[in-house]
Amino acid sequence: MIGIVDYGLGNLVSVAAAVSRLDFEPTVTVNPDVLADCDKIILPGVGAFGDGMRNLAERSLIEPLRRIVVDEGKPILGICLGAQLISNASDEFGVSSGLGWIDAHCRKLTSNDPSFKVPHVGWNNLIQKKDDPIFCNIPDDALFYYVHSYYVDPSNDDLVIGECEYGSRVTSVLRYRNIYATQFHPEKSQRHGLTLLQNFLTGA
Amino acid sequence: MLRKRLITVLTFNNGVLFRTKLFTPDYRYTLNFVDAWSVDEIVVLDITRDQHGKGQKFADVVSSFATRCFVPLAAGGGVRTVSDVRSYLSYGADKVIVNTGALERPELITEIATLFGAQCVITSIDARQSAEGKYEVFSGFGQQPTGRDPVSWAREAEQRGTGEILITAIDRDGYLQGYDLDLCHMVADAVGVPVLILGGAGNWKHFLEGIEQGHASAVCTQNIYHFTEKSISSAKRFLAHAGVPIRS
Repeated sequence: MIGIVDYGLGNLVSVAAAVSRLDFEPTVTVNPDVLADCDKIILPGVGAFGDGMRNLAERSLIEPLRRIVVDEGKPILGICLGAQLISNASDEFGVSSGLGWIDAHCRKLTSNDPSFKVPHVGWNNLIQKKDDPIFCNIPDDALFYYVHSYYVDPSNDDLVIGECEYGSRVTSVLRYRNIYATQFHPEKSQRHGLTLLQNFLTGA
Repeated sequence: MLRKRLITVLTFNNGVLFRTKLFTPDYRYTLNFVDAWSVDEIVVLDITRDQHGKGQKFADVVSSFATRCFVPLAAGGGVRTVSDVRSYLSYGADKVIVNTGALERPELITEIATLFGAQCVITSIDARQSAEGKYEVFSGFGQQPTGRDPVSWAREAEQRGTGEILITAIDRDGYLQGYDLDLCHMVADAVGVPVLILGGAGNWKHFLEGIEQGHASAVCTQNIYHFTEKSISSAKRFLAHAGVPIRS
């Protein structure tokens, strides 16, 4: 059973549909006991960082998630906003504190190029920086669907296993122990996205 | 490098797909063809005039796309309130398209952006050029003149938090004679968010013009696939050959 954290932000329908398509059983839930029983957890999310943290707090999910993910080491995949929430803080709408599972700060995308558009919306490459089982059967530079205005900047660059090029090199995939985070939406990235999800779901 | 997008726009009346000409339903061509594995993004619009956005049939349309096509899905038609947005998102849409609702109450854009993020709202602007060459924004299925200038309305929408802008030249709709490139590049150059162009694409060269001369981040097409045997992938081969960064 794959737990999809329902904290009121994000397209849960698509994430659940993608998990089902891969022959896994999705459970969209806000209940920490159910999440604790799941084999793996997906933390989806679109929207603003502060709202995401507030919604997690209102549903009393912050402490149970920390216990399940950080203490017990259950595999988790954060997607888009879900990928950003695992950091210490974000600059979005003033500085907001995050879950703090990795030492990282979310910063706004910037460039000196006047044709540079924010949010970064559309299909862009995933440049694989490290070998990782999550990239199994995905060619380097494959295209994924991104939509974001902020990106995760970890203090330890070694955590960045994938990047994309947008104004500068931007974090695309992070890995820290049992925690994976993708800035793009695998559930919206067709074949390669489904492969990445499958790698997460079938991986150790 | 970020790719230019090819977006397929599908319009539905009471849950039935059809094409439009000059914003009027034309039921002659209802060929239902979406090549889900090479389209970059799908836009579904409910243009049911009496109960727009609230019909169960259209909800089913959105759900069926959301569970079958693993690409971004935008839905629009009759979005007036945050609760309309929530409904579309619950059917599985990733973003919503606002048009008349935002013209009537521009705060709607900010409300959506604040609650669901800027990426969740596309402001659709329908514009028409007068005999003197001046552009004006129209609301209500392209029927009501608003007195607004599309460039200033696009800027306002950006300030209010829209994530993208969809610009349509009403008079080009369904004619397959090419986009209104002047309109698009005026808007695209005035804002920092991606601009999507719709209305008038009839061949692959029009896509190239929309990107190169219209400065569009994405080229949208509604009617072209109703008329042609050609596929989205052949359009993409054409653009790639012309040097446009595209997802093959």
